[in-house]
Amino acid sequence: MRTSMLSRLGGPARHAFFAVLALVMAFPFYWMVTSALKTNDEIWASPPTLWPAAPLWGNFAAAWNEAPFARYMGNSILVAGSIVVLQIFNSGMMAYALTHMKFRLKGVFSGVILFGYMVPATAVYLPSYLVLSELNLLNTYGGLILSNCVSVFAIFLIRQAFLQVSHELVEAGEVDGASHMRILWTVLVPVTRSSFAVMALITFIDHYNNYFWPMLITKDPALQLVSAGLRSFFVEGGAYGLKWPLIMAASAFTIAPLLLVFVLAQKTIMQSVNMTAGSSKG
Amino acid sequence: MTRNKLISGLKPVLFTLPAMIPFVLFWLAPLIYVLYLSFTEWDFMSPTKTFVGLQNYTDLFANPAFYKALRVTVLFCIGSVLPVIAIGLGLALLMNRKLKGSGFYQALLFSPWVTPTVAVSIVWSWIYEPEVGLANTVLDFLGLEPLGWLQDPKWALAGVLLVTVWKSAGWAMIFYLVALRNVPSDLLEAGELDGAGAVQKFIRITLPMISPTTLFLFVVQMVQALQAYDQINVLTQGGPSGSTRTLLYLYYQSAFESFQIGEASSVAVVLVFICMLLSVLSLSISRRTTHYQ
Repeated sequence: MRTSMLSRLGGPARHAFFAVLALVMAFPFYWMVTSALKTNDEIWASPPTLWPAAPLWGNFAAAWNEAPFARYMGNSILVAGSIVVLQIFNSGMMAYALTHMKFRLKGVFSGVILFGYMVPATAVYLPSYLVLSELNLLNTYGGLILSNCVSVFAIFLIRQAFLQVSHELVEAGEVDGASHMRILWTVLVPVTRSSFAVMALITFIDHYNNYFWPMLITKDPALQLVSAGLRSFFVEGGAYGLKWPLIMAASAFTIAPLLLVFVLAQKTIMQSVNMTAGSSKG
Repeated sequence: MTRNKLISGLKPVLFTLPAMIPFVLFWLAPLIYVLYLSFTEWDFMSPTKTFVGLQNYTDLFANPAFYKALRVTVLFCIGSVLPVIAIGLGLALLMNRKLKGSGFYQALLFSPWVTPTVAVSIVWSWIYEPEVGLANTVLDFLGLEPLGWLQDPKWALAGVLLVTVWKSAGWAMIFYLVALRNVPSDLLEAGELDGAGAVQKFIRITLPMISPTTLFLFVVQMVQALQAYDQINVLTQGGPSGSTRTLLYLYYQSAFESFQIGEASSVAVVLVFICMLLSVLSLSISRRTTHYQ
C-alpha cells in the first residue's frame, strides 16, 4: 500500500485538497467574469471585491457592440471548419496510401512527412509568408485555409488508426472489386471514426484559437480571427487599462464557447491523449 | 495493358497528392527557402537579394542580443517543461487512486488547455496589474512585497511562465493518468512481495514504466516552448529590456519589425536545427530504453 499522507487521510481530505486545487486553477476564469461585471471605478478599488456590488450584466452587450466580434467568430468558425474538412480528406487519403497501398516512393514520402514532424511551424513563417505572397493569397480566406490544410500530426494519427484495422477487412473489399476510394471511405473511415472525431475536434480548437500565423498573413480587420480580433480590441479600444471591464467581458465571450465545447465533447478531447501518445510511438 | 499498369502505378501517388502538394508548398519549400535566405541580405522591399555567404551567421554568433535570446529561450524551456511534467505527474499520482467525482476535478484542471492563449493571457495581464491586480493582492494578503509581474525584468519571465504552466499542467496530467493506468498491477504486486516500499516501488517500477510518456511530454513541451509566441506577445512583447525575448520572438521582430530578412532567416535555421536535434535525440533515447510494446 502506498501510505502517502493524503491517502491515509482518506476520501474527504482528498476531496478537499482537489476542490481547493481546482478552485485555484479555475480562479482566473472566475476573476475574468467578476471583473467583467464591475464598473470602471469598482474594478480599480483596493482591495478588490470578490463580487461586484451591482453586477453590470450589460457590459457583455456593450463589449459585443464595440467591435465586430460576431464577424471574428464567424471567420474563426469558417476557417477552422474548412481546415477540418480538408484535413479529414487529405489525411485519410495519405494515410491510406501509406498503410494499404504499395508504391516505390512510399519510403521517401514517409521519411519526408516524419521530417516535417521535426520542423517547428513557427520557424518557417517568414518563408511561408513569402510563398503566400507569390501566390497572391495574403489577406484572403483562401490563404488562411490552404496554408493550414495539411497537418503532419493528423496524418500520423490517422495512419496509426488505419494500421490497427485488420487487413482482412480491406482485402474483402478488394475481392469484391471495390475501388480504393470506396474501401477508404466506406470501410476504413467508419471503423476508425473515433480517431477522425478526435482529429477533427483538436484541429478545430487549434485553428479556432490560432493567432500568430493568421495575424501575420492578414492585415484586413474584416478577416481577423477571434484571437487577433480580441487582441486588437485589447490594444486599441481598451487602450491598456481604460476599459478593463469591457476587455474582461470580451475575453469571457471568447473563452466561453470553447469551455462549452469542452464540456460537451470532454470524452473525445480526453481520448485524444490516448491517441496522441499512441501515434507518437508509431 | 501497359497503360493500365501505368494508371495503377500512379494511383497511390494520386492518393498522396492532396496532402503532398500543400505540404511541399507550405512546409518543405519554405524550409529550403529560409535556408537560402539565411545566406542573403534583403530588406523585403528591394528587388534583389545580395548573396553574403555565412555573413548572417557570423554576425548572429557575434551578437550579444542572440546570446541573450538564447539564454531566455533555455530558461523558458526549463521553466515551462520541468514544472509542467512535475505538476502533471504529481496530480496524476494523486488522482490515480479511486476517488468518486475525480472526473470533475480532472476536467477543471484540464480546461485551460482548450482556451485561446491570447484570451487567457489578456485575463492574466489584468491579474498581474501592479496596483489592484489579483496576483499582488494575494501577495499582500500573505504579507509579501508586491511584484512588478510584467514590468520588472527580474520577474517578467516568471510571470509569462506561470501562465504557460497553468495552461498545460492539466493536459500533462491526463497523459500521465493514462500511462499510470497501463502500469501492470501484477508488477507492482510482485514488487510488494519482494518487500519494496511505496517510494521504492515508484522509483523502480512506476517511473521506468511511464518513461515513454515522460519522454513524449518532454519533447512536445520543448518544441512548444521553443515556439511560444502568443502569451509573450500579449503579456510583454519580449520586454521589459528583452527579458522575455526568446529566439522565436527575436526572429519575428527582425523579420517583421526591422525587415532584416537574412538575419531573421539565420535565427530560424538555428531554431529548426535545435528542434531537429531534440527530435533525433529523443528518437534514439526511446529506441534504446523502450524494450516493450
